[in-house]
Amino acid sequence: MKRLITMAAAMLALGVLASSGAQEGHPLKGSWLGEWQGNTVHGDDILLILDWDGKAVTGMINPGTDNMALSRASLEPNGWVVHLEAEGKDKDGSAVRYVIDGKLENLELPNRSINGTWSSNKGRGTFTASRQ
Amino acid sequence: MKPRSVAGWCVGLGAALAASLAAAHHPIVAKFDDTKSTDLRGIVTSVDWRNPHVHVFTNVTRADGSVENWAVELESTVLLLRSGWKHDTLRPGDAIRISGPVARDGSRQVWGETVTATATNQRVYNVKDSAPTVARSQRQPAPRGSDGKPLLGAADGSGGYWAYPTSTVLQQAGANVRMDADGVLARLSDAPRVAPFQPWALGLYQHRQQRHLADDPGFLNCKNPGAVRQFQTPYGVQFVPELARQRVFVLIGGGNRNYRIIYMDGRDQQGQVQGDDDNPLYYGRAVAHWEDDTFVVRTTGFNEDFWFTNGGLPHTNQLSLVERFTRTDYNTLRYEVTVDDPGAYTQPWSSGWELKWVGGEELPVYFCQDNRS
Repeated sequence: MKRLITMAAAMLALGVLASSGAQEGHPLKGSWLGEWQGNTVHGDDILLILDWDGKAVTGMINPGTDNMALSRASLEPNGWVVHLEAEGKDKDGSAVRYVIDGKLENLELPNRSINGTWSSNKGRGTFTASRQ
Repeated sequence: MKPRSVAGWCVGLGAALAASLAAAHHPIVAKFDDTKSTDLRGIVTSVDWRNPHVHVFTNVTRADGSVENWAVELESTVLLLRSGWKHDTLRPGDAIRISGPVARDGSRQVWGETVTATATNQRVYNVKDSAPTVARSQRQPAPRGSDGKPLLGAADGSGGYWAYPTSTVLQQAGANVRMDADGVLARLSDAPRVAPFQPWALGLYQHRQQRHLADDPGFLNCKNPGAVRQFQTPYGVQFVPELARQRVFVLIGGGNRNYRIIYMDGRDQQGQVQGDDDNPLYYGRAVAHWEDDTFVVRTTGFNEDFWFTNGGLPHTNQLSLVERFTRTDYNTLRYEVTVDDPGAYTQPWSSGWELKWVGGEELPVYFCQDNRS
């Protein structure tokens, strides 16, 4: 919970809450809050900031705390398949390479969601996030 | 409308925004299944004479004797009044026959394709709305102002606005894709031809089409008809120049009855209101100049919170428009637009249509508002 509060504070600091609500542009653009369950390295809660520059999806996982920039991100409209990759560090400074695979659901809603799985060299589990 | 009327317009806008909270006007096929029609006979219990849609509530007696109350949905009060109908054309107790498509969600709602008063066997609440016609012999050239440029508004301050667009949908020039007035495709497979979509934008457009545009925020949330859409609304637009400040107000008769400001003072594309220079806006930041007799408007700085055209074509905050307005004669305004949005489309594309002059009148009183109840 403490981590979640920290993330919420980070969102406020970044001003990303101001962008919540209606978003009729690229479906991934926005701030996403959710869980990657069983993540013992970076905690169960995840904040994901995604953007679209016209050519590529960019973004960051847990800005303000873990600051893991996405190294790869894609959205396949056929089935609305989401693929994200990022690299962070554990407490010892060792690299943790994350892969998130999911599906974008309730595409038409402002609070659409991504549901799927996450995996890394340190673990794996289910992934859910909703656009804020 | 004279410039001083703008203040009154803004007051009206505030009222509109306060009223615009929930579901409102919608594409007919978003709510009603045009493949499932019904015929009903019943007795009127009440008439809800409100925009965006008038409803006639009707008790229908079934074969087993049970009574069901149905909501018969009709066009707006504006269109019904233009067609000669009044709030008391039908009264509680009147017997009517109704024919039309039923609601997709299975509720007791029907679109009143035809409503017939049983006593007289005459159709009521049918809409006959068309642009004013001008005989070829009475056609006049576009009026001009003191600067020699064509006026986009009334010549003598007597009022007038542009309405009855010859197209209410947007597709790239030459595509000739068949769709209805709300932009619902006749064949979903034609979607890729509508515009040079990026893959995600095509997917989102197809998704919206598959849902019959039921998620349109312009209807669900009375979001602004920004960008191209203000020239597709059924109740028109009015150009009000404010010469002293070198700007033009475009008052919008449909949607949430908002307005847009176009600056001609040579500024860069800055904000419309002090302090919002960097904020993306529903109407973007518009600057204009004249090229011969054509008013050329360049607009950037749109937000992504609305649909920029009927039909659900996506856009991003990279959207940039070049709009060209040419008053080709007294009664005709040619609207041409080039859409450049590298966030959603692979290349710029263009479209255009005409609007007709409705002289001597102010914009009709229409507010996007909830009347689901």
